[in-house]
Amino acid sequence: MPDLVQFAQSLVNGVGVGLIYGLVGIGFCVIYNASGIVNFAQGVFVMLGGMVCHALLSKLGLPMIVAAVLTVPIVALAGLAIEFLVVRPMWDRGAALFAIILATLATQIAIERLTILTLGDQPRTYPEFTLGGPLKLGSIAISYQLFWILGCGSLMVVLLWLFFTRTTAGRALRACSQNREAAALLGIPVSRMLMLSFALSAGLGAVAGILVTPMQVTAYNIGTPFGVNGFIAAIIGGFGSAAGALAGGVLLGVLQALAIVLLGAGFKNVAALSVLLIVLFLFPSGIFAALQGSKGH
Amino acid sequence: MLQRHMTALAVAVGLTALAQPGFAQDTYKIGSAVGLTGYAAASDRAWRDGQALAVEALNAKGGLLGKKVEYIAEDNRSEPQEAVVVYRKMMSNDKVNVFASGCVSAGNFAAAGAVVRAETPMVLCSILPPRPEEVKWAYSILPPPRFEMEARYNWLKANTQVRKIGIMHDPTPYAQLMRDVGVKSAQEAGFEVVAVESYKPDDVDMSVQIGRINAAGAGAIVKMGQGGSTVTIAKNIKQLGLEKMILLASLDDGAPLKAAGEELGERFMFVAPRVQIPAALQPGEPKEVAEAFLKIWREKFGDRDPNAGARGWDSVMVIAKAVQLANSFEGPKVRDAVEKISGFQGSFAKYNFSPEQHVGITENPYVIGVLRGGQFQVK
Repeated sequence: MPDLVQFAQSLVNGVGVGLIYGLVGIGFCVIYNASGIVNFAQGVFVMLGGMVCHALLSKLGLPMIVAAVLTVPIVALAGLAIEFLVVRPMWDRGAALFAIILATLATQIAIERLTILTLGDQPRTYPEFTLGGPLKLGSIAISYQLFWILGCGSLMVVLLWLFFTRTTAGRALRACSQNREAAALLGIPVSRMLMLSFALSAGLGAVAGILVTPMQVTAYNIGTPFGVNGFIAAIIGGFGSAAGALAGGVLLGVLQALAIVLLGAGFKNVAALSVLLIVLFLFPSGIFAALQGSKGH
Repeated sequence: MLQRHMTALAVAVGLTALAQPGFAQDTYKIGSAVGLTGYAAASDRAWRDGQALAVEALNAKGGLLGKKVEYIAEDNRSEPQEAVVVYRKMMSNDKVNVFASGCVSAGNFAAAGAVVRAETPMVLCSILPPRPEEVKWAYSILPPPRFEMEARYNWLKANTQVRKIGIMHDPTPYAQLMRDVGVKSAQEAGFEVVAVESYKPDDVDMSVQIGRINAAGAGAIVKMGQGGSTVTIAKNIKQLGLEKMILLASLDDGAPLKAAGEELGERFMFVAPRVQIPAALQPGEPKEVAEAFLKIWREKFGDRDPNAGARGWDSVMVIAKAVQLANSFEGPKVRDAVEKISGFQGSFAKYNFSPEQHVGITENPYVIGVLRGGQFQVK
């Protein structure tokens, strides 16, 4: 039977990974809200975040902060390119949503191949933002990078909240999420909102990639696990709420960590997916959406 | 009019000749199912590049028994299902004469039955398929897993006080076989395996498994599996503040080994063939053959890690040797000839095949490597 320290340490590790899942989940929600599209290429934004940041650090020798700040708009441009080259032509021709969703999956594979050709197949990494550590609380170790992830994740949620509630563009995006036809009738440029949502979503993915790479590695193929877990996080959170997706990610990360401690690594995904099934059975619109609903009543 | 008829006849004869299987076999075709994407990409891409260089070198010397050698590599995406598809394609469309496939053991196992029915020999980067009738047609360029374990256990016993170890492995057949060998041979080597943990190659965090190993009292983690997971484990050890934990990694490409070494310093070690640490090459024939390969490799790829490329190169050279011994391109004769190859010095190791010995490397080729001053050195 694992001791309390093991439990506590696994909770800390689960929170760290879960915050990243949550950031990816928010990316899913932003595009879904604006268009109803589930962008299965979301994971590649995480990969590109790490790969581009590494390239800026190693090839151009830029300081970490500059490389990180430059990476976000570069990956956002990649998001815009996907919207312009893949989604928009189908959207304008009235393609079925499932066809567009499938196209985003194909896009993920294409970007992975392109990454191999341009940046190579080798895994790469860079140092943590704050060297030294970890912080020791008794026998429990907390990596300094975890504080960066926690801080930046919280900042992202606050900034997104401000964006969606205090800016015209954010309110327009929310209007699109509620009723696209009505939003269009009110003069909101729905197609431009779609473009904005892809850029925003790609930027969020990039932030996740920049933050997580110092804790592990990045490579052309790391997008898939992040995409899958981010998708699950978004569903647990209610597929629409940024805070819900972040909380869903943390819950998923902690569940996976506890499953490894209690049942072994082989049961990590079994446990996580079982929880997902239970959530879908009991709360079809996600735990956090259900909680908000019950508060409203 | 007669001239027009003659031209038409000539075209018809030409087309008929093109349609004959014999025309397609004017070259000797080596097929390779390789994981150019997926978990095995780092080693299999280098394996492929080493094979392509070897084929170029053979053709520069006039080919094999007067025939040009053609090399066909297909991406199995490191997945067994894809491997079956590409093996079928190479057998039915390309009509390859021999396979020299990469390190995705499960993929090679999945296709082995069909390859054997086509009487096509296989010289593999992976371990041998499990069924005896498949082993008859398959040869391995990979050192036996026990050599990796012996090298690690011997070093650990001779140089540290650590006697309790944890094993971490991925779900590939090779890593699982290595796990079994590692657990079985630990006791006779004087070690107690206090924890065995698994991970998936694309897991983003392995802190929990490492925490369990540490909690069980292990002083070293013996890792079985390749790729970026080695770096993740090294980083996780550091993040958990395990300042005395040693990490001993498998045979792998240089890039992840270097990145892991940068995290843990000399607490990170790995098994390495001498070609990966050229300063450790033994004088005489081993050094001459390895340096001949390294010269060509470096001209093309600079300072890229040569480990898997050397094995790929050797796989083609073993096939070439077998064709010359058989004096034939026929599958059964080439298969029989590989069994007669003994004392054949390759760039990676010396190969000693026999009817009972289809794993060619019979002498332990490994040293324990470490990253020191940005370079790989013998620990």
